[in-house]
Amino acid sequence: MVLPAMAKIRLSFIFYLYIIVKCESINVDTISSDIRFKNVDRTIDISSQLVKITSRITLENIGGTPAKNFLLAVEDHAKNSVAFFGAKDSNNKEIRLVETTVKGYDYVRFWRAELKEPVNAGASATITVESVFTKTLQPYPTAITQQEDQLIKYVGNLFSYSPYYVVSQKTNVVVNTKNVESFTKVKPFSQQDGSIQYGAYANTKPFSEKELVIHYKNNSPFLTVTRVERLIEVSHWGNIAVEEVIEIEHTGAKLKGPFSRYDYQQDHHSGPASVRSYKTLLPASASDVYYRDTNGNISTSNMKVKKDSVELDLRPRYPLFGGWRTHYTLGYNVPSYEYLYQSGNEYLLKMRVIDHIYDDMQVDELVTKIILPEGSTNIKLNLPYAVTRLPDSLHYTYLDTKGRPVISFLKKNIVENHIQDFQLRYTFPRLLMLQEPLLVVGFLYALFLCVIIYVRLDFSIHKADHHHKD
Amino acid sequence: MTAEVQTKMRLPQLSSDKQLTFIKLAVLSMAAILSFATRLFSVLRFESVIHEFDPYFNYRTTRYLTEEGFYNFHNWFDDRAWYPLGRIIGGTIYPGLMVTSATLYNVMQFLNITIDIRNVCVFLAPFFSSLTTIVTYLLTKELKDEGAGLVAACMIAIVPGYISRSVAGSYDNEGIAIFCMLLTYYFWIKAVNTGTILWATMTALAYFYMVSSWGGYVFLINLIPLHVLALMLLGRFSARVYVAYSTLYCVGTILSMQISFVGFQPVQSSEHMLALGTFGLCQLYAFTQYLRQHLSPANFELLFKALLTTLLATLGTAAAVLTVTGKISPWTGRFYSLLDPSYAKNHIPIIASVSEHQPTSWSSFYFDLQVLVFLFPAGLYFCFSKLTDANIFIILYGVLSIYFAGVMVRLMLVLAPVMCIVSGVAASSLLSLHVKDIEPKVEKHEKKKKHENNMVFRSEVGALFVMVLGCLLVSYVFHCTWVTSEAYSSPSIVLSARAHDGARIIFDDFREAYTWLKMNTPEDSKVMSWWDYGYQITAMANRTVIVDNNTWNNTHISRVGQAMASTEDRAYEIMRELDVDYVLVIFGGLVGYSSDDINKFLWMVRIGGSTERGAHIREADYYTPSGEFRVDADGSSTLLNCLMYKMSYYKFGLVYTEGGRPPGYDRVRGAEIGNKDFNLDVLEEAYTTEHWLVRIYKVKPLPNRGM
Repeated sequence: MVLPAMAKIRLSFIFYLYIIVKCESINVDTISSDIRFKNVDRTIDISSQLVKITSRITLENIGGTPAKNFLLAVEDHAKNSVAFFGAKDSNNKEIRLVETTVKGYDYVRFWRAELKEPVNAGASATITVESVFTKTLQPYPTAITQQEDQLIKYVGNLFSYSPYYVVSQKTNVVVNTKNVESFTKVKPFSQQDGSIQYGAYANTKPFSEKELVIHYKNNSPFLTVTRVERLIEVSHWGNIAVEEVIEIEHTGAKLKGPFSRYDYQQDHHSGPASVRSYKTLLPASASDVYYRDTNGNISTSNMKVKKDSVELDLRPRYPLFGGWRTHYTLGYNVPSYEYLYQSGNEYLLKMRVIDHIYDDMQVDELVTKIILPEGSTNIKLNLPYAVTRLPDSLHYTYLDTKGRPVISFLKKNIVENHIQDFQLRYTFPRLLMLQEPLLVVGFLYALFLCVIIYVRLDFSIHKADHHHKD
Repeated sequence: MTAEVQTKMRLPQLSSDKQLTFIKLAVLSMAAILSFATRLFSVLRFESVIHEFDPYFNYRTTRYLTEEGFYNFHNWFDDRAWYPLGRIIGGTIYPGLMVTSATLYNVMQFLNITIDIRNVCVFLAPFFSSLTTIVTYLLTKELKDEGAGLVAACMIAIVPGYISRSVAGSYDNEGIAIFCMLLTYYFWIKAVNTGTILWATMTALAYFYMVSSWGGYVFLINLIPLHVLALMLLGRFSARVYVAYSTLYCVGTILSMQISFVGFQPVQSSEHMLALGTFGLCQLYAFTQYLRQHLSPANFELLFKALLTTLLATLGTAAAVLTVTGKISPWTGRFYSLLDPSYAKNHIPIIASVSEHQPTSWSSFYFDLQVLVFLFPAGLYFCFSKLTDANIFIILYGVLSIYFAGVMVRLMLVLAPVMCIVSGVAASSLLSLHVKDIEPKVEKHEKKKKHENNMVFRSEVGALFVMVLGCLLVSYVFHCTWVTSEAYSSPSIVLSARAHDGARIIFDDFREAYTWLKMNTPEDSKVMSWWDYGYQITAMANRTVIVDNNTWNNTHISRVGQAMASTEDRAYEIMRELDVDYVLVIFGGLVGYSSDDINKFLWMVRIGGSTERGAHIREADYYTPSGEFRVDADGSSTLLNCLMYKMSYYKFGLVYTEGGRPPGYDRVRGAEIGNKDFNLDVLEEAYTTEHWLVRIYKVKPLPNRGM
């Protein structure tokens, strides 16, 4: 009688919760006409495989009431390649960003920045917006021979895309090379070595777009991690084992024609767009590092222990040219006292969602799995950004009886800015630590008992026969 | 001091019987552990990895078995090998090895012991050699006594002849087959000694396991009938032997026919006829003995003669008719080469090309067996001096396997256990004979042995002898460890060398190339290489190969040989015909790796020329007029322009390999290559590994029309 009622209450509670959550995710905002950008200083860094745009925005409130929040926008053609979007105020403090929509602008992606201190009427504030785009730089031509340089075409917006009126703006494009084949020329502009400056352009309307095309040499590694599976196995005996299964593809210009080992060995400038090796940084306390693939150990790697990290110089079995792929498993142990906090039976695990793989990395898909000790309950996961939570499962390994809980989640399109900690709280009765040793003791006890019984007692059926022989 | 006192205090508490059990148990378990540990050199030096060629196939099939289950494995048609023919795996292998490791794997998974299947495969052979050690003890115990058993167990734990095929990572049939073989022998001796159906059935079961795991079971099924025959001839045939053999033959044959690769061979092929004949003879012999008991000698004589002639006549005609009609399959080449070492060389190049099928040299007997070579005759003497049914068996086994090991290097494996057993008997007998002399206790029985004790310095001589034998055994231990460490513990998939400064350089080119193939070629690419690398390519690169180490189709291999030995144009036709996308060659000229494809090239020429379609390939064309095989400027032009030469040496003419030598100096052949400046028309270099050990070429598509 009572239980169904309780269940009903719980169900309805979940339903309400669902509605609340749903409502929050479909935010609708309007563009306030009280705000305008007095000045935008934009840097587009396209010297690596990522497009990193940093804008310093001076925001001005020309209305009558204090502005608590304002909107940031990403244009239609770039909105799906946004990997990271963040904002900081003049004190270098994070500003909370909530994704939102605006009626009539369905094709634009909006974020609402919620300011800690409202901008008073007539006052102004400086905000730094940082965004990282993946898969925006396209090799052009798409296939090159071994000796050729990789040329990249960047297509972007000459103006800072904003829902507000912009009084003045400047853009600095960092290409880090003198070899620029062509670029959009809209005066005023200037080219210095390694960068191209545009602006200042005055009085641009909201949502202005003008194509910016830069075709330049970029031999930096175009490596995409197509999939990482990160496995964190927590042991209460003082160790946390981390294992990453990584699939990498060179997504730059594809290799056309033969690969000549002779040229590659003879001339160190040969294969400028290829990747011979890269560096992976592991936590400083990492030990027992292994680097292998399905065919065994990969013997070409070096490890350097530094003060604040362990630097691995990973060399794939073969140099990676455009279109070539490789995969490997990298694993190591870290002591648990650095990441696992405990109070009574309550535990808190604080580790990175993803760790550094190489500089300016881009990851298509990440699956992180956390294996907790057998018997952990009340598991609560806290993440620094939104992910897709995968169903929990059980993992069986040495001396397990009912299985270890596995928490897993998936996140797509990841860059270095996503290297942040998650928090996992759980309850683990400390007495359960004794379960595994007792299991071994019990098993051995039973074994010896069986042997003793077998040796001491006579199980033969025909004793008479025995007597005859004697 | 205290420890000594303590042991002295503690030991008397156990009765001497228990002490003995304890010592036996300790020695035996230490031998078993040692036999496992001594096989781990390669794992410690390199890593836990599968070695050589065949083990990769076994590893791949085992993986398939664990992933897909037994029925899918049994019905597996492998389209990754022998393109475009394919291979029915389930029906053409001995599944014992795979089933064993898959069972072990599944049991461990069930107990939540999450060991990788690769590690199960790597450590299977050492594990089974531990078991072999124990079985050797049991077998020798049956033959002689427990002391001899312990010595034999210790010897087999480290004998190089056996280690060579059972180090960690050499995941091959032989690894478990030796265990099965000795187990069968043990049960057989037990069965002969007791004459119970129980032991005979156990023998049959062990025999079934042996059949399921290695083709060498043929040796076993000929040896046991031979034993029975010998017992008959020596007048030792008894009801015990009759029961043992009849049960073994019936149950064993039916069981062995369950293995689909064996099929009806046990009743059809000539290799099994001895067993069948002996079985018949047993029945006749038993029957005649039964008749003899019930008939008068005269009547019996008449009946016996009449029956014998009719039987021989019918059997003779039946055998002849069946051989002519092909019901009894002709003797296979591998078996012929056992009886006549020169057979293979003259008739089947593909058998002769395998190094492990070569006749054994004298030095390798010493290398693989060391002191056992000298102890063996002594052991035979001790066996002869106290002839029993079991001893006759071991004498037969010893003599036969010595012959076979002399014919084929590979069969050293069969010889090693019997060497250990017989030497164990010898060492144990000699020691027990002379240790008695040293002990002062002997003097107590002065009365009895007075007349024996006429030798002066008896105890000194005894001590000296024990010392000499001890030294020999110690040197055996050192020799075995040295051989294991130096000769038999390199995975061959990873090569290592010493740099000038003593640092170790690792050549990991094979895996580099295979991984490259796996990751960067289309899933359905066809790779052509010499058959040696077929298993590795399918297992590590997961690509389709034209030929592999299962050399069942000579014409197909010959076709590949022809492609390698032809000029580019002709090779292109063959490659188009075989639908080849990539060609892989092994080239050791840069680093001095001598077992590369140029050194194997003459076999390709011979095998290529051995079929009708390759009649235009003549071995003589590849030699210089003076009959030498040279790759330098004096070499024959046929050689310098064939596909294999071009693929191996493409762009090599530009490379400086050694100081003071011209570019293009081949470090294996020790010569500057003769044809340096050439381009490839129908191939393009797809990948060459870091040390040029593996070179992969892509076959270009046909040129566009009108180009």
